[in-house]
Amino acid sequence: MTVALIGFAILLVLIVIVRIPIAFSMGIVGFFGFAYMQGLTFDNMGDFRWTGSLSMAAKRVVDTAQEYSLSVIPLFILMGNLVTKSGLSHELYRASNAFLGHRKGGLSMATVVACGGFSAICGSSLATSATMAKVAMPPMRKYGYADSLATASIAAGGTLGILIPPSVILVIYGLLTETSIRELFAAGFIPGFMGILLYLCAVRYVVWRKPEAGPCGEKLTWPERMEALNGVWGVLILFTIVMGGIYMGIFTPTEAAGIGAGGAFLIALSRKTLTFASLFDILTDTGRTSAMLFGVLIGALIFSNFINRAGLPSDLLAFVQGLDVSPMMVIFAILGIYIVLGMVFESLSMMLLTVPIFFPLVHSLGFDLVWFGIVVVVVTEISLITPPVGMNVFVLSAVLRDVKASTIFKGVTPFWCADIVRLILVTLIAPISLFLPELLYR
Amino acid sequence: MSFSAWVTAHYEEKGPVKWLAFALELVAAVTLFLLMVLTCADVFGRYFFDNSVDGATELTEIGIAILVFAEMPVITWRGGHVVVDILDRMLGSVLLKVLGLLSAFLMSSSLYFLGERIYFLAARSMRRDEVTEYLELPVGLIIQYIAVMSWVTAGAMITYGVYRLLFLSRD
Amino acid sequence: ETVMRVASWLPPTHPQNAVVWPTWGKWVEEATEGRVKIKIEYGMGHPKTMFELVEDGVVDASFSYHGYVPGRFKLTQVVEQPGLGVSAEAASIAHWRVNEKYFTKANEHDGLVLAALFTHGPGQIHMAKPIDSLSDLKGKKIRIGGGVQGEIGKRLGVTAVGAPAPKVYEMMQQGVIDGVFIPMGEQKTLRLKEVARNVVALPGGMYLGSFSMFLSPDFMDSLSEKDRKAVMSVSGEKLSALAGRAWDAGDAEGYVAAKEAGVNLNEVAADGAMAKEFKSLAKGMDDAWVSHVTDRGVDAKAALTELRSIARSYGK
Ligand code: NA
Ligand code: NA
Repeated sequence: MTVALIGFAILLVLIVIVRIPIAFSMGIVGFFGFAYMQGLTFDNMGDFRWTGSLSMAAKRVVDTAQEYSLSVIPLFILMGNLVTKSGLSHELYRASNAFLGHRKGGLSMATVVACGGFSAICGSSLATSATMAKVAMPPMRKYGYADSLATASIAAGGTLGILIPPSVILVIYGLLTETSIRELFAAGFIPGFMGILLYLCAVRYVVWRKPEAGPCGEKLTWPERMEALNGVWGVLILFTIVMGGIYMGIFTPTEAAGIGAGGAFLIALSRKTLTFASLFDILTDTGRTSAMLFGVLIGALIFSNFINRAGLPSDLLAFVQGLDVSPMMVIFAILGIYIVLGMVFESLSMMLLTVPIFFPLVHSLGFDLVWFGIVVVVVTEISLITPPVGMNVFVLSAVLRDVKASTIFKGVTPFWCADIVRLILVTLIAPISLFLPELLYR
Repeated sequence: MSFSAWVTAHYEEKGPVKWLAFALELVAAVTLFLLMVLTCADVFGRYFFDNSVDGATELTEIGIAILVFAEMPVITWRGGHVVVDILDRMLGSVLLKVLGLLSAFLMSSSLYFLGERIYFLAARSMRRDEVTEYLELPVGLIIQYIAVMSWVTAGAMITYGVYRLLFLSRD
Repeated sequence: ETVMRVASWLPPTHPQNAVVWPTWGKWVEEATEGRVKIKIEYGMGHPKTMFELVEDGVVDASFSYHGYVPGRFKLTQVVEQPGLGVSAEAASIAHWRVNEKYFTKANEHDGLVLAALFTHGPGQIHMAKPIDSLSDLKGKKIRIGGGVQGEIGKRLGVTAVGAPAPKVYEMMQQGVIDGVFIPMGEQKTLRLKEVARNVVALPGGMYLGSFSMFLSPDFMDSLSEKDRKAVMSVSGEKLSALAGRAWDAGDAEGYVAAKEAGVNLNEVAADGAMAKEFKSLAKGMDDAWVSHVTDRGVDAKAALTELRSIARSYGK
């Protein structure tokens, strides 16, 4: 266990202090750690047989770059980018606003719902926050919403999409832990929508305490509401086809991603928002994001080879069993670690760093890995709005130059509490996540 | 707008590196688009014509490798990998550049050695006539491509990436 | 004391991991008077990667299915040819002996120390929906693991879907595939009894699947001459037979599990319609294989004949 912990400490130093990209930090520590486990010392560096460690890393690169199930990553990101570029965010906001806008805090609630819907498809929290800031901020300002509430609903709303499927983060979790991606998607559904509901409650709470923070907007008539829905049919159908197709066994997640991207391409074409240049931008932007994700994934796999060879998971298990605490206490200890790490790291890095270490322990304690995946994603979602480093908050204060990060963090507190409530519920009541996978597949 | 002007407007890179970036991204873009078309065709073929695309799985696997490693040099020299930058404000710009140089050196050298091993694996695979199951394409070729692109990434990072870091970064 | 790290990839409950490795591990420990022990590691990667992981010393030993690396392993298909009609144990022993006598010079296991060659039990047809004749399979999506299965799939006109065995359950459940060609044991270990509830068991099966167990040359070099000999003394034909026997036992358990789960099991008689259909379909496959491997420079025809006579006379 000592070796692995030292390796982990070195990794943190490389990532946080020496500032080496996380993919390479994990790869380098994994590589030398594995070599150490094969007998590398300071004395034998010159004539050490590096083949084992090199081949381990090289095979991870070659195999991961050609892993069929990973083609969901570029394809889902492509779908998200196509949808974003075709101006969907605007229409989703307009539709949710038509139904919710006239209530107290209604524009905020509409923002949360629109963020949920948009990020569900787009899958990127940061993209959601940045796009929705442009869409939802002006109307909220017009109606005199407090900056803190307005920005917080965008920042928090943006976190929803990494859990509501399709979710690239769940795909990566599935790959690291060899868990069924389809079951993970199904499991993310209810907790994801629970997130929207709890955020709505958070908005209600804010306007209950401080009514002037969220005055009412105009009330629309039903025909106007129906009219507002018009713009979002295409995307609602796309979402239904993609998710329904996966759940009903019509196609695999990989194929669903291809169909989703193809459908989004057709939607964008039909709206005449695509040119060759913008298509090229969308494709290359997707390519860059995918390459970056593959990089971290390869790094994480090399690192986890070292962690496993160093015996950390089994030692950790022995340690925990020696403590004689209930398995649920162990889970709460892990969650505590996540919350602390969440102050510093953003979602993807945090998951890549910790999942290889914790999942064998969680599995051998008898917990369901699908459930744990959902718990991990919920807790990493929280990290996006946890100070001092909440990526969504930063993105927002960068896009809205006149709003300070501290204002947003202050406004986000009720949402953060809502997230903690959800985390506790999802952790203690496993069926919230496992109900759908059980019903559909088990 | 002329094509050349469009490329210049689209790419922050200088001189010939701009064209290298464009060429690599063109490969990536075309591959990704074909991946999308291939997956759709495969599903449609399977459900409506009872006949999927032969070897779609193999082509997809090759496609992701081409896509990812075509973009790898570009994102690497642009500093596009995920970095945890919470200490940036405390570190000062000189120290940040020094750390950037250290990163560039570590990234390039690890990719260089990794590329060497991958190239060896490719040669071994070709020597043993390994092919894909359905289309019988030589497996070694795509591995060789990964090796070469690792070297391109390493080379571009230690030259243009360092140049960019030292002279072009905005802050 | 040396620890031999064995990378494995089937579920821990599979006979390969529950019986074959532990039993062999005990033999190794006894033969080396406790100086060499084995430790199983999971999650090292795709089964096809095991060959190279062992060759390069990432792990010390492993096993894999030859069909996962098309092009490299052609001679090993000698044992997979349809119509052998014997147990995995008999086939495994014949596989080992014939390889020793005819094929070592072709060096398909280049870079590895071969510890055993074995086969799984007869490959059968496991479907989500029942079939009445083999021609019903035309156009159906069938998971093919590689090797001789691919040729059988072509002759049946199925739409082949490639994937490693541990993925089969999910693919069946998702409807990505309509069925799979795999031995009976996987009804239990891969839980196919839940998703592939219609099995057609042809007499002697359609084919066998060739596997090997292998050791890293680096690891062997690190042992003393005495221990090296000791390890090899409990490997080879002895280990091949053990593996074949364990996989046979797995098939028997799979058969019972399928029966208990109420799987619709169609055991075709030797003169049944589907058996005849398969026989005419598989005709000439062995000759095709012989001409396919001429570039290996071995007497494939003699090897095939001798393999059949060893396997069929084993235990009689
Ligand atoms: Na999503
Ligand atoms: Na954070």
